[in-house]
Amino acid sequence: MNTRLYLRWTWRDLRARWLQVVAIAVIIALGTGVYAGLRSVNGWQRRSYDASYALLNMYDLRVRLTEGSYVDANELRAALDELPHAEWITAAEPRLIVPTLVEANDRETPILVPGRIIGVDITGGGPAINRLHLMSGEPFSAQTDPARTAIVEYNFAAYYDLPAQGTIRLSGGHELRRIGAALMPEYFLVIANEIGFMDAAQFAVVVTPLETAQALAEQPGRVNDLLLTLADGADAGQMRAEIEQMIDAHFAGTGITIMAPADDPAHHALYSDLESDDRFFRLIAYLFLAGAAFGAFNLATRIVEAQRRQIGIGMALGMPRVQIALRPLLVGVQIALLGVVFGLLLGQMVGAAMRGLMQDLLPLPVMETPFMARVFLQAAALGVLLPIAATVYPVWRAVRVPPIDAIKSGTLIQKSSRLAALLVNIPLPGRSFTQMPLRNLLRTPRRTLLTLLGIATAITTLITLIGTLDSFLATIDTAEAEFYQNHPERMIVTLNSFYGVTSPRVIAVAERPEVGRVQSGLVLEGELRHSGETIDVALELIDLESDFWRPTVVKGTYPTGQAGILINQKAADLLGVDVGDTLTLWHPQREGLFSIHMAESEVPVSGIHASPLGYLAYMDQSQAALMGLAGVTNVLYVEPAPGATQDEVQYALFHLPGIASVQPVSHFTEVFSDAMELLTGFMAIVAVAVTAMAFLIAFNSTSINVDERAREIATLFAFGLPIRTVLRMTVIENLVVGTLGTLVGIGLGWGLLGWMMRVELGDYMPEVSFTVTLAPLTLLIAVALGALVVALTPLLSLRKLARMNLSATLRVVE
Amino acid sequence: MIELQNVSKRYIVGPVTITALDHVSLHIAEGEFVVVLGPSGSGKTTLLNIIGALDVPTEGSVRVNGVELSTTTQAERFKFRRETVSFIFQTFNLFPSLTALENVELGLDISRNGRNGRQTAASILASVGLGDRLSHLPHELSGGEQQRVAIARALATGNPILLADEPTGELDFRTGVQILELLQQQAEAGKTVLVVTHNREISRIADRVIELSSGHIVSDGAPRGGKAPVHALSW
Ligand SMILES: Nc1ncnc2c1ncn2[C@@H]1O[C@H](COP(=O)(O)OP(=O)(O)OP(=O)(O)O)[C@@H](O)[C@H]1O
Ligand SMILES: [Mg+2]
Repeated sequence: MNTRLYLRWTWRDLRARWLQVVAIAVIIALGTGVYAGLRSVNGWQRRSYDASYALLNMYDLRVRLTEGSYVDANELRAALDELPHAEWITAAEPRLIVPTLVEANDRETPILVPGRIIGVDITGGGPAINRLHLMSGEPFSAQTDPARTAIVEYNFAAYYDLPAQGTIRLSGGHELRRIGAALMPEYFLVIANEIGFMDAAQFAVVVTPLETAQALAEQPGRVNDLLLTLADGADAGQMRAEIEQMIDAHFAGTGITIMAPADDPAHHALYSDLESDDRFFRLIAYLFLAGAAFGAFNLATRIVEAQRRQIGIGMALGMPRVQIALRPLLVGVQIALLGVVFGLLLGQMVGAAMRGLMQDLLPLPVMETPFMARVFLQAAALGVLLPIAATVYPVWRAVRVPPIDAIKSGTLIQKSSRLAALLVNIPLPGRSFTQMPLRNLLRTPRRTLLTLLGIATAITTLITLIGTLDSFLATIDTAEAEFYQNHPERMIVTLNSFYGVTSPRVIAVAERPEVGRVQSGLVLEGELRHSGETIDVALELIDLESDFWRPTVVKGTYPTGQAGILINQKAADLLGVDVGDTLTLWHPQREGLFSIHMAESEVPVSGIHASPLGYLAYMDQSQAALMGLAGVTNVLYVEPAPGATQDEVQYALFHLPGIASVQPVSHFTEVFSDAMELLTGFMAIVAVAVTAMAFLIAFNSTSINVDERAREIATLFAFGLPIRTVLRMTVIENLVVGTLGTLVGIGLGWGLLGWMMRVELGDYMPEVSFTVTLAPLTLLIAVALGALVVALTPLLSLRKLARMNLSATLRVVE
Repeated sequence: MIELQNVSKRYIVGPVTITALDHVSLHIAEGEFVVVLGPSGSGKTTLLNIIGALDVPTEGSVRVNGVELSTTTQAERFKFRRETVSFIFQTFNLFPSLTALENVELGLDISRNGRNGRQTAASILASVGLGDRLSHLPHELSGGEQQRVAIARALATGNPILLADEPTGELDFRTGVQILELLQQQAEAGKTVLVVTHNREISRIADRVIELSSGHIVSDGAPRGGKAPVHALSW
């Protein structure tokens, strides 16, 4: 075979259609680039997490005492030594964790945020479990007197740009020497305190020597937390059971929670996000690749059809079929190679950009960002195989046509199908020129269908991806509306412990002149359980008859004055319960003054509340007795007095004793939208890319159409039909196909969007019930692209048409 | 060389059966220059397509160059076309994105007798009088020139049988005559040449004229009034 001749030949094929080839290559590049880039990041994250947790020696088991319970550290150590399998424990470190307010005065405006003190064993350069990774300053071991020194959590220090050293003030006016800032495995990601939303800006973790924490908390010698590492081959389940028995035996009445690293909120969030991120990114890449594959298929089909007669001549000349097929197939190969080269470059760029973002958003002690050869190979394989596979079928079909048919039929007169015959005979109104566009469409149903499907693919992808963004934003709006209702100025004040609703500390809040309305409530950590499923919730007990704020009930009734719980739709779906069913609530129960343990109660589901956040659950204040907390409160809802601002309220309340945090309710929606920021930002980029892709596919499908008809159009010109008329005909033709394609695309897109939000994002963010919606702007973009751009594409070929070499076009039979 | 026995070709279109060829038998020897004559629809193209293995007969036997075509497989027919026959079409059917030279090179390539592809192709083009049109694309050539490229492509294959269906149909008299002369020269050089036409005048230059009507051979023999030299033709 004369290879050089073939290369020249296909190169000319390529040049003749370069715009379409490049367009499809760009779409492939978007798909492979997104795939390679985002999945690399995913791999980097996993490696970095693994290495970071290993470096800082993350615990194997953590034993947490119920809030408000303490045990003696030495007794606890002694009891551990007596465990039947004490030899499994390679290290054990008791800790004392207490809530506090943290004030830093290094900057012009003082920083005052809630936080927690973690007292750790520093003997021998400790802590040895959950080590501190010092980012600035000095370690405890460098201090001659480490008492009353503190190392602050790095994300907090970095957010406020705190100098390495200084002082820090804690609740009760205690001042400590701040000696450094460090990363800690439990706070790689600063999330979730009791209310569910907290971030680095709003939460300060302060690590001190154990004795210092005990002194500050007035709990000398006592601890409420224990970290363990286990030997290889130890049975963690057995260990848990032994610890539970031991606590029961030695510290009767003390409630505990035993956690594995997977139960750690930060650890869990980091790793589970990895998996769902990966799935989500892959899905998006696949959507792009599917669009690209279809584009390639469409182009290949058209090329083959245009070359039909040439294929027939080749057959008449006895050219081997493989050789005949090679020519159109090479176009697929060229698209694939071009696409993959662009795509891998794009992947590198995405990776580089994300690497920087990763380091900013989530500083870790160890960052591993090697070139992910496997992911890139996968992306390249996908990018190469897809378009080639898409070209193979139409080519294979074409070379199987009997040569005699291939030669006989002209370029455009396909073997007319029965459908075409039927359609052609449909009587149409109007004169021949007005009929012509419709006739053209009906005469070649296959071509019309391919164009229509091309446009529909573009619009489906567009609707699905931009619809995802629309749905995110609508969900944030729904959450906000529910938090605000008629009192957008509402603020949430959390207390550092339980106080009687008429206690001086609560009264003091109400009496501040800056404070208008006050309503008390309880916020408790708990779990909803039903038929094997569990959901963590922040359970709020509030006055459900209040006209200040209460959740909106969208189904069922308010359980005022009676047992009953309000949960959100998503939680109900996950648990498989409906209004009227009974579920099991796992909740704190106070016995005496200091001991709180967890208990189970059966509670009927009274209604569904309107918030999209599934970890919010509400009960009536009257049910506090169930928790042994009747008449006490740990959260206050307040509104600024007329004329006072939220800032003034915040400042006034911070200085009162017993206050853990003061936040405008808007803060909670901000945190929620911040949490989605990465996703919405990412989706915004995808939206731009998909708009570009939709344009390319729509443009491509149409311009192939116009090119294909060059000969027909030339014939019309030869008959003296003005360009204007020919253009009008093509525009009408495209408008019809474009509109139909857009409608089909919107329908398919809506279906796919629903599936994506329910199934894919249902796994991605199980705690959120998304509002599936399409913004009017999105529909407008879809119609603009699918109908208008498609209709107007022939105008782009105006110049081409006007300068068409009539004699050359008509002279050669293609 | 070419041997047809009782060859029929029938097309069934709906309720109607069209008999394009009806029990045709004929023998053509190597090196003959044969013109197939007949009115439109008489079955000329069908006959040529069957000899060229583009089509198979409904019944009868076709032996060309020792190959029985009525029972061949697809692959064998491809091989046969590659090695035995070369088509020349009424509408030229050049590859539009290849130059004159490249179209001929392709002919060489297909039959795999192209060691020195470019040079051989150029000399064949020169032999049909197109030595100065090598790098023209088909749309840059006149109809007659395109047909001469098509003949050059057919010659390039080196196949012993040339099949030309209305090769002058699109051309004016003078050009048509030039094309015929070219084909006649090929027959003199030893190729078997079959030219289809509905033009009786053309048949005068042939060694032998086979006349078809409604799928039957109605006459077969030397042209009426004897073989005429090309310059004696008049349209
Ligand atoms: N694929 C087909 N299906 C049905 N009938 C066919 C088909 N191909 C040819 N025919 C019929 O067979 C008959 C012979 O056709 P053929 O093409 O051989 O005629 P021809 O002598 O070459 O005519 P022309 O001089 O017009 O080219 C015609 O009546 C034609 O209608
Ligand atoms: Mg014919």
